[in-house]
Amino acid sequence: MTVSTQLRRRTFLKGVGASMALPMLECMRPALTLRTAAAAETTTAAPVRMAFVFFPNGAIMPNWKPEGAGADYTLSHTLEPLKDFRGDFNVITGLAQDNGRAKGDGPGDHARCASTYLTGAHPVKTSGANIKVGISVDQMAAAEIGKQTRLPSLELGVDRGRNAGNCDSGYSCAYSSNVSWKTATTPMAKEINPRLAFERLFGVNQQDEKKRKRRELYRKSILDLVRADAQQLKNRLGATDRQKIDEYFTSVREIEQRIARSAAKRHEVPEFDIPEGMPRDQTEHIRLMYDLMVLAFQTDTTRVSTFMLANAGANRSYSMVGVKDGWHSLSHHRNDEKKMADITKIDRFLVEQFAYFLGKLKAIKEGEGTLLDNCMLMYGSGLSDANRHNHHDLPILLAGKGGGTIQTGRHIKIDTETPLNNLFLSMLDRVGAKVDSIGDSKGRLDALDG
Amino acid sequence: MSIHIRCKSCGFSFRIDARFAGRRGQCPLPECRHEFQIPARNRKEPVLTGGGDDRRRPSEIAAETSRRTAEPVSRNRAVVLPVAESGLPKRLYVAASALFGGLILLIIAAVFLPERATEADAAEPPQTANVEKPQSQQAAVYQKTIRPFLKKYCYECHGPKEETEGVAFHKYDDLPSVLASRTVWEKTLRQIEVAAMPPDDHDAQPTAAERKQVVAWLDKALFDIDCELVDDPGRVTIRRLNRTEYNNTIRDLVGVDFEPAKDFPSDDVGYGFDNIGDVLSLPTLLMEKYLDAAEQIAAAAIVEDIGAKNAQRFVGRKLDRGRWPLGRDGFVGLNSSGEVSTKVEFLLDGEYLLRAEAKADQAGGELAKMRFALDGKPVKVFEIKGHRKPDVYEFRLQVVKGNHKFAAAFTNDYYNPKAKNPRERDRNLSIRFLEVQGPLNVTPDDLPATHRRIVIRRPERDKSVRDCSIDIFRKFATRAFRRPVTADELARLADLVEAAVERGDTFEQGVQIGMQAVLVSPHFLFRIENDDRPHDPTARHNLGDYELATRLSYFLWSSMPDDELFALADKGKLHQSDVLLAQVQRMLKDSRSQAALVQNFGRQWLNLRNLADIKPDMARFPTFSEELRADMLTETDRFFAEIIREDRSMSDFLDAKYTFVNERLATHYGIDGVKGNEFRRVSLEGTPRAGVLTQASILMLTSDPTKTKPVLRGKWILENILGTPPPEPPANVPPLEETAKANPDASLREQMALHRSNPTCASCHVTMDAIGFGFENFDAIGRWRDKDGKHSIDPAGKLPGGETFKSPAELIEILGKRDRQFARCVAEKLLTYAIGRGLEYYDKCAVDKIVSNAARNDYRFSSFVVEIVNSRPFLMRRGDQGENE
Repeated sequence: MTVSTQLRRRTFLKGVGASMALPMLECMRPALTLRTAAAAETTTAAPVRMAFVFFPNGAIMPNWKPEGAGADYTLSHTLEPLKDFRGDFNVITGLAQDNGRAKGDGPGDHARCASTYLTGAHPVKTSGANIKVGISVDQMAAAEIGKQTRLPSLELGVDRGRNAGNCDSGYSCAYSSNVSWKTATTPMAKEINPRLAFERLFGVNQQDEKKRKRRELYRKSILDLVRADAQQLKNRLGATDRQKIDEYFTSVREIEQRIARSAAKRHEVPEFDIPEGMPRDQTEHIRLMYDLMVLAFQTDTTRVSTFMLANAGANRSYSMVGVKDGWHSLSHHRNDEKKMADITKIDRFLVEQFAYFLGKLKAIKEGEGTLLDNCMLMYGSGLSDANRHNHHDLPILLAGKGGGTIQTGRHIKIDTETPLNNLFLSMLDRVGAKVDSIGDSKGRLDALDG
Repeated sequence: MSIHIRCKSCGFSFRIDARFAGRRGQCPLPECRHEFQIPARNRKEPVLTGGGDDRRRPSEIAAETSRRTAEPVSRNRAVVLPVAESGLPKRLYVAASALFGGLILLIIAAVFLPERATEADAAEPPQTANVEKPQSQQAAVYQKTIRPFLKKYCYECHGPKEETEGVAFHKYDDLPSVLASRTVWEKTLRQIEVAAMPPDDHDAQPTAAERKQVVAWLDKALFDIDCELVDDPGRVTIRRLNRTEYNNTIRDLVGVDFEPAKDFPSDDVGYGFDNIGDVLSLPTLLMEKYLDAAEQIAAAAIVEDIGAKNAQRFVGRKLDRGRWPLGRDGFVGLNSSGEVSTKVEFLLDGEYLLRAEAKADQAGGELAKMRFALDGKPVKVFEIKGHRKPDVYEFRLQVVKGNHKFAAAFTNDYYNPKAKNPRERDRNLSIRFLEVQGPLNVTPDDLPATHRRIVIRRPERDKSVRDCSIDIFRKFATRAFRRPVTADELARLADLVEAAVERGDTFEQGVQIGMQAVLVSPHFLFRIENDDRPHDPTARHNLGDYELATRLSYFLWSSMPDDELFALADKGKLHQSDVLLAQVQRMLKDSRSQAALVQNFGRQWLNLRNLADIKPDMARFPTFSEELRADMLTETDRFFAEIIREDRSMSDFLDAKYTFVNERLATHYGIDGVKGNEFRRVSLEGTPRAGVLTQASILMLTSDPTKTKPVLRGKWILENILGTPPPEPPANVPPLEETAKANPDASLREQMALHRSNPTCASCHVTMDAIGFGFENFDAIGRWRDKDGKHSIDPAGKLPGGETFKSPAELIEILGKRDRQFARCVAEKLLTYAIGRGLEYYDKCAVDKIVSNAARNDYRFSSFVVEIVNSRPFLMRRGDQGENE
């Protein structure tokens, strides 16, 4: 036991080191010129996009898991809404996220479920000081391929973070309301307002080129000035404060790079209706966010995205499918049939929305195939049975053919306790952001190739 | 008459007859024999204790709050309410009874030493004498008991052979080396206590008694601190302004109040609050929003071209559109004759430009028409050109200053469903915005206050752009950075303005750019406090006056310091204690403190910011409405605001017989005689309600959409009122389905009783459930009820201390006596909020003082605030040892 934990720790550090190096390289050549951007576009036929969708409280697994394995399997009740896309995705069962387990830290499985989901790292248990988990897989990808698009990555959600009290058993709310982590200590805040997300993707005023140029010019000088401020400041701060100023630097640098890239060719933004404020209707809200991901991928504004369908441990009700009790309360169902039936309704409702997303992507032609073919969309949770807070046998789907590198239409059953991080490594390979290890990964998930 | 004494060395408590006061004595425990001077009898306070009224385990305060030990560790706390008004620390009391029960009587006749010469006492004051002894005692136990334990059970993985996770216990030779690596040992304590270590597959397993012994030793060594010795003020990580603080600061700095932070991502919460420096991060998304907000703020504050004042534009929901639908494209569709309008404030007499963006569905023989009207009087009719082609239509008009209604109407509706060409069937008008620009051609004196306040100079013949910029930003950036701006910073801002003017922009536009730079500078976005030696944790020092002004204003106002605080900081007087006290009192009287403390401290402390997430089932609770939800919040807000404004005792939260209601909430509560929407103070005499615990906000917050959750109510009270959060449940709670299946008809209460028959669950649930079920007469939206479905409500219960109650009122009476415990909870939460970091073990001393002072002042709200402001953690800071000690 001792030996293995030691190994895990070492490999983890190595993984962090590998991806930490990326931003460093980046800062040595901050400006990406128009020519290289254009070159990237012409040489690669169609880029592979990746997205990670998160739902929080696990699922009723007997209703989720399909029967049979391989191409000849039967869709389960919960996954039935995906029947039209049967050839476009794989169900993967058996994966685990071991670092979501307590490991001596006691309760807090919901906070760990979200914070471990894409990082594969074990979060430091704290209400505030020394928040630390790990870099998430989407950000590893963004650090490498993000510079080829206007936005390195897009983080979306539906719920604001909780803003009072404790989120989960002594874990700061940062762990519950974020799945994407830029560094081990900086979560990527998510956008929950569809209009603001749209403006972030495509700008407020598309038409007025002159205004845009003026703004960018001044922003560059403003950022120059405040970067100098921050540099002076940093020299006289203590170590913890410096971390905060480093977050500031990183953000400033990223915006500068984005301004530099904005001169590159802009894609035509398709017609898109979008409400002024926050949608009242939750179904509409979820679908709008999926629509935005479709737009972002279609226009190649970004190639990496995450979407939280709710925060970890969310207790919202789903009255549109007749579920009036809070989800989290229900999830401790103690095998009560009524409660399990209610949760299944939620599970299925969310799968229906995912099917909507796949439908949109599939309707868009790209090259010889469709946009969906050039995607890898992971849909899942960091918990399986929430009643028992299980972190293994996770409900995971992977949709899209990854640019023709994934054989879809199968139920891939693998050994229990296979790290989810193995899948991440295989996904990173396919977008051209190769990493040696993440968390407790033990190799690639070769089963994807078919 | 006897004197209560707690030995500083071993923690043992005993009594000595008062006639021995002033003489020297020795601890009666044979293995301790610590010497001390017997003090004179001292009211109710126990003597010789480090921490006044500490009734909790020493580790508790740190366990709840310290880094890495956020998980409560104790099994024997929280589940037992402290014995009211007992001077004895509970833990010691229990230990003493268990271990030395038989000795208690003997101890009263403690061993006395012959009186010593007084000069000896003077040369070696008792405090100093006490320092060495406990350390040596502790150190001896470490060598004799603890190290052998570690060697036997831990060295295999954490010793000379292996250093798993970097932990190697053989390196800790003595007590000081243990205390130097507190983080490691706090974690060790927790792991041993919950039996997570040594792991199950380890061959040698300690006995329960061995575990207990090591836990007790670690607990004492790490947390039972002497406030005379420990004087660490702690260190606050630089704090980014959170959303509320950003809005308020912009309001006070610039004078615009449009909540620019409304769309910022939410600030993550730590230790229950959203103003914790360690937790407030700055992702790129937020930096983008800062840039956008700065641009909007500068545009709103400064008229960029004095020839044409900024536009006031009304879009979407800002428009009064009656029944007309707002499309996804942002256009309001007028499908037959009708209008959209808005109220506009025209600041001055003068000429204005009225504008609207419109498009039309053309049909029939003529173009769609749009008519502008001011206060119902038509002023202009436009023909809308093109089919579905948006364009802006505008008209100049002389207007008298004041409020006017500006409307744009569709006047020539046409509808012919039979037309052959579908395009010819329906004529409609859609409008996206109404806008008013002006007054046009005004002189500088006519400009808005925000503009005049910032642009205090304009370049003229003898005043260059650079000189004017420097004057402007000396004032503006000093206020924004909350300390005098440096010459270097000014020069760079002036460069920016000059560059803009050279590029062809107006001077005002240049100032806008400079302003944006100030508003995204780290000096504005972060509250920075300086250290001379930032990397030296022993370098403790007082805050500078500007830093103090900033801490004060964000604590009480959630905003920047005002002119008076700045002036006192300028003179270097703010830190003087009389000045500081006068300022705190002035600030508390300012209405800003009520608003900020209620909204930001109160709502987070009581978790009420989460009330919006509770969605009562409308089928079960048809009287619930969003208005009622808002009323519930208003009630608690007004209640807290009253306590602040009137400087009442915080114990009102426990049992006040008054509250605030309007008609809707009064009806909800069954209180007669309240009419209208206005909230007013009403007496609760003769009702079962008292204090905050029976307010609907709290009752609904601690319920599910369909039913109450008594356990959650009990837990909420333990966490937020009594300050003794229960330990977390075991990772996998034993299943309950058998009990539920065997007794399908049992009431919730009966089911929970069965649950408690499991001893693992019982230890904690016995208190939580008793308190929670005590409030079962209040349903999931806070209404009184006598029955839950077919089951009668039985609120009676018994607390572990032995007290019994038959009704919520009697339970409230019992809780009302816990005012000191409640005060401690308030002090901890308010201190956390004030300094923006989690409390550490050494903060216990500050909390002790705050509580004692508040107790002397009848727990008045101001007494908490004053003592917090005067505490070491608030007034001082130190260097940083970095993340890893």
